[in-house]
Amino acid sequence: MAWSENYRSRFLDVDLDKGRFRVSRTAFSDPAVFQEEKEKILYRSWLYLGHESEFPNRNDFLVRQVLDAEILVTRDSQLRVNAFYNTCGHRGALLCRERAGNKALLTCPYHAWTYRTDGSLLTRGKVGGYCKEMDDDRAYDLKPVPQLAQRGGFYFVNFSADTPTLDEHLGKAGEWIDTLLEHSAEGLEVISGLQEYQIRANYKLMCENSMDGYHLVPTHGSYLDYQRHMLKGMEVPSLGGHVIALGNGHSGLQSNLAVGRPIAQWMPSWGEPARTLIEQKKEELVGRLGQERGEFIANTNRIFCLFPLTLILDSQSIQVRTMVPIAHDRMISRIWLFGAVNEDPEIRRVRLEGALSFLGPGGFATPDDVEMLEISQRGYAIGGVEWNDISKGFHAGEDTADGELDQHIDNEIQMRTYWVEYDRIMNDGPSHDAQNVRVTEAAL
Amino acid sequence: MSAVVQELPRRLITRLTVEDFLYREAALLDAWKLDEWLALFDLEGSYEVTPVGIKDPETVSRAVAYFLVGDDYERLQQRIVRLQKPSAHVEWPRSETRHCYTNVIVEDENDTDVRLRCNFITRRMKRGVTEYCGTNLFHLVRAGDDFKIKAKRVILAQDVPYLHQGTVSMIL
Ligand code: FES
Ligand SMILES: [Fe+2]
Repeated sequence: MAWSENYRSRFLDVDLDKGRFRVSRTAFSDPAVFQEEKEKILYRSWLYLGHESEFPNRNDFLVRQVLDAEILVTRDSQLRVNAFYNTCGHRGALLCRERAGNKALLTCPYHAWTYRTDGSLLTRGKVGGYCKEMDDDRAYDLKPVPQLAQRGGFYFVNFSADTPTLDEHLGKAGEWIDTLLEHSAEGLEVISGLQEYQIRANYKLMCENSMDGYHLVPTHGSYLDYQRHMLKGMEVPSLGGHVIALGNGHSGLQSNLAVGRPIAQWMPSWGEPARTLIEQKKEELVGRLGQERGEFIANTNRIFCLFPLTLILDSQSIQVRTMVPIAHDRMISRIWLFGAVNEDPEIRRVRLEGALSFLGPGGFATPDDVEMLEISQRGYAIGGVEWNDISKGFHAGEDTADGELDQHIDNEIQMRTYWVEYDRIMNDGPSHDAQNVRVTEAAL
Repeated sequence: MSAVVQELPRRLITRLTVEDFLYREAALLDAWKLDEWLALFDLEGSYEVTPVGIKDPETVSRAVAYFLVGDDYERLQQRIVRLQKPSAHVEWPRSETRHCYTNVIVEDENDTDVRLRCNFITRRMKRGVTEYCGTNLFHLVRAGDDFKIKAKRVILAQDVPYLHQGTVSMIL
C-alpha cells in the first residue's frame, strides 16, 4: 500500500502534503473502541499461548489466560497438544485450579466428572440416573478452542474458526520466528520465572513501545549509562540496522548495537570463563550455519511485533512477550525468557544476568517504560487533544502495509504498519489491494 | 539495667539488635538515603527479589531462574546510582514509601553470622497506592557492634500470578 492520497478515518489522519501520520487517541482511551476491537481483531486473530518446552511430557497441563478466557493446555497420552476452555462440561466449574502440573485424569472438584487429557469425558463418578445415550455424541467432552497451531514450537490459539491459518497470518514474520531456531541445534526452552505484571495502560502502547527506537535515549538514559559502565571501555559499534513492515500488521526491527548476547557476543562484565564458552559457541554457529549466517545470528539484535498482541525479542536473550488486555486502560504484560536446551550453566547465568538487568519489572529499563505507558494513558484521559503523532520517517509513496524498509531504526514505520492493519480491520479502511489500485490509477 | 538484659535469652537479645538494625535499614529506604543504605551492605552482598509464584523461592538460585531482581554488589551499586538520577523516570518524582517489618525470627546465629526472616508490608504511593507484601530473608554478618548485609532476599506473597503493582522500581 503505497500512499498516493490523503486519508482520514475514525483512527487515522494521513496528510501527504504535511508528511503527517496521526492516530486517534480514542483507540487507547475509549472503552467502546476496546469492545469493538475485541470482536473484530482480538477474538479473530492468532494469539500467543505458550512454548512446547512448557508441556514436554505426556499428561502435562497448564492453565493460562488468553484474552478473557482461561485456557487449559494439555499434552495427551498420544503426545498431542490440546487447548481447551478450562470449564467443566457439567455445570461449568473451573476444571483445573493449579497453574500447571501432570495428571492422567482431570477431575472436576464439584461433582467429580473426570476427563482424560485429550478432553474426553471418562466418567461421571458412581452415580446413576443418566440415560446411556446421553453423551454417545461426546457432547460433554471438554471444548477445544477453535484453532491451535504452532510455528517452530511456539503455540498460538485463535478463538475463531474461519480465519487465515497461522502461517498465512504470520507471512514473512514467520521467518523471523524460524531464525530463532537457528540459535541452537538442540532447541529452545523456557527458563523458569515467568514475569507477569500489570500496567495501567492500553495494550497497544506496549506494542508501540517495544518497537520504538526513538524513545531509547530519552527514556532509557539511565540504563544506557549502566550499559556503558558494564562495557568497561569496550568500543560499541555504531547503531546500524533497520525497521521493516512485514505485512499483516507485523513489523521487525534489527540492530547491531552491542548489548551482549549469550549467542554469541561476549561482554567484558561477563568475565573470562564466559568468554571462552562464548567463543566456542560462535565457532559452533559458524560451523553449523556458515560464516555469514553464523555472524548474523551471533550479533544481530531483533525485535518483532506479531500483530496484534505478541512481541519477540532476540537481544540480550530471547524473550516472548504478550499481553492480556483487561480494559482499554489496563493490561497484564507477560515475559517468558528462553535459553538453549542443554546450555552450559555459565552461559545460562550470563543470559539471566543480561535479561534481568534490562528487562522485567525490576530491571533498569522496563520500569521506565511502564512509567511512560502509564503517563501516556493518563494523558489520553485528560481529553481535549485528538491525535497522536507517528510521522517519523513518513513520506508519500511509503509502502506502509507491507515491505517498506527504513534504515533509521528510530523511525516509526513499524508503528504505522500496525495501525494501518488495525484501521483496515476496524473500519474496512483501504485494503492493500484497493490502495494499490488507486496508486496505479494515479500513475496512469 | 544490664542485669536485666543479661537475664534475657541470647536469642531475644539478638532479635532486639537485629530489629534495631532492620528498622534503620527500612528508614533509610523510606528517606531515599540510598548511598547510606548501600553502605549497610557487605562488599560481597546481594539483593534479590525472587520470581513470583516460583516453587522454591527460599533456595532457588538466580543463576537458573529469571528473578525480578538479582543484584550482586556491583549491580546493586549501579541500581543505586540509577535510582538517584532524574532519568530513572519511574521514581522521579520519587514515590513516597513506608517499609514495615514485623514477625522477626532469628533462625540461626553464631559469632560471625545471623540469619533471620521477617514479614514485610511496604506501601508505595505514587498516583495511587500499591502495596507489596511478603517475607524478607536476611543474612547478616557481624561488624563490631553492628551488622553488614550479606544477602537480602525478598519473596513476594501473592495469590495472583502477576505483579499487580506493575514494577519493583524502588528497593523493597
Ligand atoms: S460442574 Fe464439574 S462436575 Fe459438576
Ligand atoms: Fe523501552
